[in-house]
Amino acid sequence: MSDFIAAYSWENIRYLLQGLLVTIEVSVISIIFSFIIGAILGLTRYIKVKRLSAIVGFVIDLIRNLPLLLILFFVYFGLANVGIRLSIFWSATLAMTVFESAMLAEIIRSGIQAVEPGQMEGARANGLTYWQGLRVIVLPQALKKMIPPLVSQFISLIKDTSLATIIVLPELLYHAQLVYGQNTNYVIPMFVALAVMYFVVCYALSLVSRYLERRLAR
Amino acid sequence: MAMIEFKNVEKYYDKFHALKNINLKVEAGEVVVIIGPSGSGKSTLIRTINGLEQVNEGQLLVTNFDLADKKTNIDKIRKNVGMVFQHFNLYENKTVLENIMLAPRLVLKRDEAENKKIALDLLETVGLADKAQSYPRMLSGGQSQRIAIARSLAMKPKALLFDEPTSALDPETIDDVLKVMKDIAKNEGITMIVVTHEMGFAREVADRVVFMADGQILEDDTTAEFFDNPKEERAKKFLSKIIKH
Repeated sequence: MSDFIAAYSWENIRYLLQGLLVTIEVSVISIIFSFIIGAILGLTRYIKVKRLSAIVGFVIDLIRNLPLLLILFFVYFGLANVGIRLSIFWSATLAMTVFESAMLAEIIRSGIQAVEPGQMEGARANGLTYWQGLRVIVLPQALKKMIPPLVSQFISLIKDTSLATIIVLPELLYHAQLVYGQNTNYVIPMFVALAVMYFVVCYALSLVSRYLERRLAR
Repeated sequence: MAMIEFKNVEKYYDKFHALKNINLKVEAGEVVVIIGPSGSGKSTLIRTINGLEQVNEGQLLVTNFDLADKKTNIDKIRKNVGMVFQHFNLYENKTVLENIMLAPRLVLKRDEAENKKIALDLLETVGLADKAQSYPRMLSGGQSQRIAIARSLAMKPKALLFDEPTSALDPETIDDVLKVMKDIAKNEGITMIVVTHEMGFAREVADRVVFMADGQILEDDTTAEFFDNPKEERAKKFLSKIIKH
């Protein structure tokens, strides 16, 4: 018990929170960029532009079927090999963004596809152009369907940032390891602290998701 | 100049020959009912008229534009040709009032106050003025279909296409929808093409009846002639079956 009290000294907690901040930074930047890129890729795959959609589809499938860790190694070690040197922080962020863009693209595409085809037909027959139908009728309905899978993907993303501990990104898990590295009695207390911190952040996100779903369900 | 004219139109889905040598002329203001067994090509035929299905050969002139020509801007035709679907296809994310006002606002750039007045008048006409703020999922089938008709009318179309408008409805709500359709046929002077199994409706308001089977038009007659004196054997059989039900 005394281990817990000693492990949770303000100094250690502050150190963990610094790690958490890095985790959140990487996550937020990756979420923003991968949502934009994923939306473009998903839409391109959906609207079937000759050739381009097929190429985009291939790239999405390729990335989705690689382990995130491998992509992380490619970005950090691979790019360095060909002379492109990114900081650890940006290597991690870029790897996350590449991987998540592909994941989100598929969520976005299938969300659009889940909207009844009759909605677009109704809009077209009513005189709207394809783009008007997409923007005003199909996409708003698709967004509503996408929110739960999008948010669970964001939650995975936050948890997956811990993989970047391998390239010594000073994120939450890495900082915890440094703390218990100095005193093995702190191992269990640090695991508990990690669990609480990841849980709080991720659970807060799922509450936001539920709120959005309810608001859009009107 | 006919409102709608098919000249030797052919349509394929891959190898399946869906429309075979279709020749059909519909004049402005005419009400034409298309009947026939399922799979006969009725829906395909009506869906080619506003370009939801592409024709492969021949000419299809709608309000003077040739739909068989890939260069034709389909949006120009759709502005003048409305469609009512079997499953309504109301915009799920919009209120009833917005369903009706959306296309006139976006496509015709109709003034907002006028747009609203026209929409409310139409809701009155179809007997659903109290549903203006409802969402489609709160409506019954019959109500949805009447809203869908109001939505089409708001565009002030020259022609209206009805693709089995009562086939997905509960029996007790069919009459409300048919009444609205009859009123349009009698009062508005809009060209109407209706795919339906409602023979009472056909008898009462159709100028002509077209009978289709296997992707072909087998009979094209005035309404009285078709019901009293059908010529084709398949049309006779079809009529005797459908009237027994």
